[in-house]
Amino acid sequence: MAIENLVRGNAVHRAAYTDPAVFALEMERIFRRAWLYLGHESEIPQAGDYVLVPLAGEELLLVRQEDGSVAALHNRCAHRGARIATCPAKGARALRCPYHSWTYRLDGSLLGVPLAEGYDALPAGLARVPRLESYRGFLFATHDAGAPALRDYLGELASAFDNMVDRAPAGTLTRFGGRLQLEYRGNWKMFMENALDLVHPGYVHRSSVEAARMNPEALQGDALAQQGAEMFLANGLPGPQWNEVPLHTFPGGHAYMGGFYRDGVIAPQRADPVFSRYREALVARHGEEKTQRVLAVDRFNNLVWPNLSLNARFAALRVVRPLAADRTVVEVQCFRLDGAPQEMHELTLRFVNLAASPASLVASDDLEIFERCQAGLAGRAGDWIDMRRGVLADERGAAGCRSPGTSEAAVRNQFAAWKRSLCAS
Amino acid sequence: MRELREEVEALLLREARLLDERRFAEWLELYAEDALYWVPTRPEHRSPADGLALFHESRALLEIRVARLQRADMHVQSPPARTLHQVSAIEVSASSEPGWQTEARSALVVAECREARSRWFAGRALHGLRRTPAGLRIALKRVDLIDSDRPHGALAVPF
Repeated sequence: MAIENLVRGNAVHRAAYTDPAVFALEMERIFRRAWLYLGHESEIPQAGDYVLVPLAGEELLLVRQEDGSVAALHNRCAHRGARIATCPAKGARALRCPYHSWTYRLDGSLLGVPLAEGYDALPAGLARVPRLESYRGFLFATHDAGAPALRDYLGELASAFDNMVDRAPAGTLTRFGGRLQLEYRGNWKMFMENALDLVHPGYVHRSSVEAARMNPEALQGDALAQQGAEMFLANGLPGPQWNEVPLHTFPGGHAYMGGFYRDGVIAPQRADPVFSRYREALVARHGEEKTQRVLAVDRFNNLVWPNLSLNARFAALRVVRPLAADRTVVEVQCFRLDGAPQEMHELTLRFVNLAASPASLVASDDLEIFERCQAGLAGRAGDWIDMRRGVLADERGAAGCRSPGTSEAAVRNQFAAWKRSLCAS
Repeated sequence: MRELREEVEALLLREARLLDERRFAEWLELYAEDALYWVPTRPEHRSPADGLALFHESRALLEIRVARLQRADMHVQSPPARTLHQVSAIEVSASSEPGWQTEARSALVVAECREARSRWFAGRALHGLRRTPAGLRIALKRVDLIDSDRPHGALAVPF
């Protein structure tokens, strides 16, 4: 079936999730052309620091240069193609291939080759990714030399990065805590669709809502139990209240949802001593008026299409990495709001562990549902998947579209971007 | 010492069997009221404040996990996983930690089968054990999987 026919009105053909040929086209026309999140500047603070990062199926070295800039180099020797590095490093002076000891400068240019006199020509060095840009410390790259500027690509969603950085009293973020990685046997799009599906929590997460209700004393328990119980209970919002959580969708497949945490330690603004100290530090940086504005931004998931989900309030993000049509890895990272009290960093760690670990009482059921969808879609019982929920309630404005929380507007918006990208030659 | 060693071994083997038999409420009774159940992502983490963890649960949070494990609407355990927890190479030593007097180090291998999928986990476990009027109780269980920082599918049954 021709690609342009896979999305028809408010329905999508199951091949979008199951067909390896569609997946290969997605890699070529979406993942090799979009700006993809690579990492954060704080991971490589000093010249010669580097980390290994995946970009659309290839491995890159993200290297801090002598002049403070960052280079994204393919981790592949220009001689026989061997991976040069296998783990991150600090303060490297050069990059050396273990096979025949070809060496490269930090910018990837060829520094030296043993027996150089025996060659009549040598390559210039390691292949470089054509475009690498930073937005407020978040590094993105694309294989597409002709891509628009990163800021233009992010569009309205730049505000999510702004808000996370503005929440740091020192004005900077530092990645910390390592990473969590989740794997599921399902299509990558399922994660992005589910992130803004506000009908599923009441059903998919019901067991953790009810288990928390059965243990009300947890709310008065230790910090961990309290935060966990509040988070589990929040998914038990009555249906009509999910509708009041605003959903905003924008051109390019991006979108965000409003917050839905109302009570306790996870509420947007609190009266406890830790939050008061944090707020004071923020006022010292921004003044009262801007602090109010920064803290009043109450959003949960911010999606940068095709594969990033950002939570500014809890200083965390998730990167979705497709491995095959039916296999996906999600990497979870978190950040220290520099200048904030230590307790705020621990709140972030707990949030990520509780919400996004493979063992999370919440995320584990999402993974199960993705796998059930993938298994169902592999069969030929029906070819078309409906995504019309809430279609009558979309309110289109100048910048984007606002919909009630229970709408499938984000799914429709993602497939609009998907179709446009796949059909562009 | 020999008596203590036998008591500790019996406790660890009982813990493994209770998990395999899905007797989660009885499993939880082996834990002290202020217990910490912790599966960090990196062996160098000294405390849960050092980094992300697969599991970071207090006894009160474990109560919620166990309540959920007993519910039919827990999708990721419907049908339930069958597990085999194998505990071996148990070493018992005295500890000067404030929260417990005895430590047990062991090698842990967990095999799990759910529907058509079988998985294996391997790692080292550290139990911090406290003498209480009711018997020996687990104040800390730390599990360092050899692949704790690698991708994992959904995890539901504790290690």
